[in-house]
Amino acid sequence: MSRLDTPAQTRPETPPTETQPTETHPTETRPTETQPTEAETVANGAPERAAPARRGTAGGTLRLLGSELGLTFRRPRNIAMLAVLAAVPVIIGVVLRVVSDDGAEGGAGSIITAVAGNGMMLTFAALFVLVPLLLPVAVAVVAGDSVAGEAGMGTLRYLLAAPAGRTRLLAVKYANAVVFGLAATALVAASALITGFLLFPVGPITLLSGSTIPLAEGLVRVLVAVGYVAAGMAALAALALLLSTLTEISIGAIAATLVLVVVTQVLGAIPQLAPVEPYLLPSWWLGFDGALRAPMALDDMGQGLLVFAAYAVVCGSAAWARFTTKDITA
Amino acid sequence: MPTQSRRSRAVRWGVPVAAVVVVGAAVGTGPVIAAVQGDPVLPERTAEQLLTEVARTAQQGQVPPMSGTVVETASLGIPGLPEVTGESSSPISLLSGSHEAKVWYGGEDKVRVALPGRMSETNLIVNGEQVWLWDSAANTATRIKVPAGEPERHQPPSPLPTAVTPQDAAKRLLDAADDHAAVSVTANDQVAGRSAYQLVLTPKQTGSLVKEVRLALDGETYVPLRVQVYAKDALEPAFEVGYTSVTFSPPAPENFAFTPPAGAKVEEQNLGERARHDEKTAEELGEHAEELSGIKTVGEGWTTVAVAPFSSGDLAALRDGGDEGRGAEPGAAGLAAGVLDAAKPVSGAWGSGRLIQTKLATALLTDDGWLLAGAVTPDVLYEAAGKK
Repeated sequence: MSRLDTPAQTRPETPPTETQPTETHPTETRPTETQPTEAETVANGAPERAAPARRGTAGGTLRLLGSELGLTFRRPRNIAMLAVLAAVPVIIGVVLRVVSDDGAEGGAGSIITAVAGNGMMLTFAALFVLVPLLLPVAVAVVAGDSVAGEAGMGTLRYLLAAPAGRTRLLAVKYANAVVFGLAATALVAASALITGFLLFPVGPITLLSGSTIPLAEGLVRVLVAVGYVAAGMAALAALALLLSTLTEISIGAIAATLVLVVVTQVLGAIPQLAPVEPYLLPSWWLGFDGALRAPMALDDMGQGLLVFAAYAVVCGSAAWARFTTKDITA
Repeated sequence: MPTQSRRSRAVRWGVPVAAVVVVGAAVGTGPVIAAVQGDPVLPERTAEQLLTEVARTAQQGQVPPMSGTVVETASLGIPGLPEVTGESSSPISLLSGSHEAKVWYGGEDKVRVALPGRMSETNLIVNGEQVWLWDSAANTATRIKVPAGEPERHQPPSPLPTAVTPQDAAKRLLDAADDHAAVSVTANDQVAGRSAYQLVLTPKQTGSLVKEVRLALDGETYVPLRVQVYAKDALEPAFEVGYTSVTFSPPAPENFAFTPPAGAKVEEQNLGERARHDEKTAEELGEHAEELSGIKTVGEGWTTVAVAPFSSGDLAALRDGGDEGRGAEPGAAGLAAGVLDAAKPVSGAWGSGRLIQTKLATALLTDDGWLLAGAVTPDVLYEAAGKK
């Protein structure tokens, strides 16, 4: 993997910005003192060094995010996960096409019938299938690996050696995971849309409420659903990021996140625990079906977004507190 | 470790702690604020004044246009009721757990009730003479024909409260109240963010399982916002239906416009005609018809007992039918199975049979083929079984 390379090669764009003394912990081992790294050399040689401090900060953060995104989307294992996610709608579409060609109508669920009638519904069917587990897996892998992976590889200290500041580094890591979650969701929707348009008739869409809306408005509803699901994944990314700051073994953070995802969904399914359900994160993920009602269930989806925000704030701030106070030894 | 770093560490960890506190406060503020503010202040009204207002709005159809979310919570203690039905939007699932419905009310002849389920929705849409039942899971639109000149809704007698809107529930309640309950006014309450009067109806008859029924009326419009039914010896309501959010403004007209979507199955049902037919035969045949149409009642007021010919074989058939997965709804089959399992054998001077008890209702299946049910103690049922 590229992370095994020297940091200077993998992160040529590490932003050069003024050190923020408040961000670095006094007890932190400073690799710069013991071993002047290539990273620092590159940083010192970078041309933006002379740029005004403020612009340098914002630009530097963006630059760092850019390099982070580049690494994430170039990583073979992430590409493989995205490929699997994109393949699922195609598989569902083809299977439904074959089944409906056999004339095996009825019996199957409502979504299935709806897909056969309108390719656009494949988007919602695909999200319905992927949102409970597969999409969270992809997000957890990226977000859970973000800090722990660097720590495990021993690259975290080099990252911190570049004067980006821990807060900014963490923010960039989180933004990276959020963008990945959004990209994964959008990819699923796009793949489902294309498959649906190719394999099934497409026209005005029948909503769950029984009313019919034009195709263009249907595309807007798809966007709403994608945005909602991406927000849910962003909340999960915050949780995974928190777990990632607690360990130096990235697989531990990833596994812990997924265990939480599965366990909370099991808990949510137990009727006796119904009062707890609204407080669990996964219970709100499937709320994107509010986009398929008439009028759109904005109140329910708004409540879901509030839950996502609460999770993101609590987990994100805990991750920040942990990351900015922990001793980086690796 | 230097003290400064320890302090900085504590300060940093203070941020997530503060975040948890803020989120916790946001979740918990509703009840806390309500408790601090105390009961909302409304002009004094006696129970009688309130009842008149309610009767006036209910009878003259002067309920203002409104829309809102209704949450129904039933913990009736029905034995073996499959809890899994919580996910479905099937009406039978309303008998247990908590359920949400969206209500749009634009007038007497413009009503929409939606039961949202996970990726499904059941809608009842009344628009003038058109009544549609849309079930997205079955992809079926059912047109229910109500003949003109018969606007009043026909409600089957039911020992279980299955009313969907608070208005419905309140109307039934007031019908039942009459002379049989003591009506009083208790502290005002906040319902769906609105100040509301609270009427308390306490049954006078001792044989009733109902301790009291609380009816919350909107302070401005006197629209019933919540109905709570308390069983004897229970602190939490056994049945509750009320708005969690409500707006008093005319809902958008497209809520009441329904045309079956392309590709959906369309069915027709003549509900009104059947009901009228039943009524006519009942009138013509008098006493005799009661046996034919099946149900008669014994007693009055809160201790009314419904008596119907019924054999436990029917129930077993329902259960077995459900097992085969054809005909009967799975929920109904589960219910039948649970009921049969929980029934306990009883006998007395009236004969013998099996007794099913829930918090709010008791049912007796006699071995000679009768079903007696009511919101009453078993003794009242035994008495009715002896009389019949």
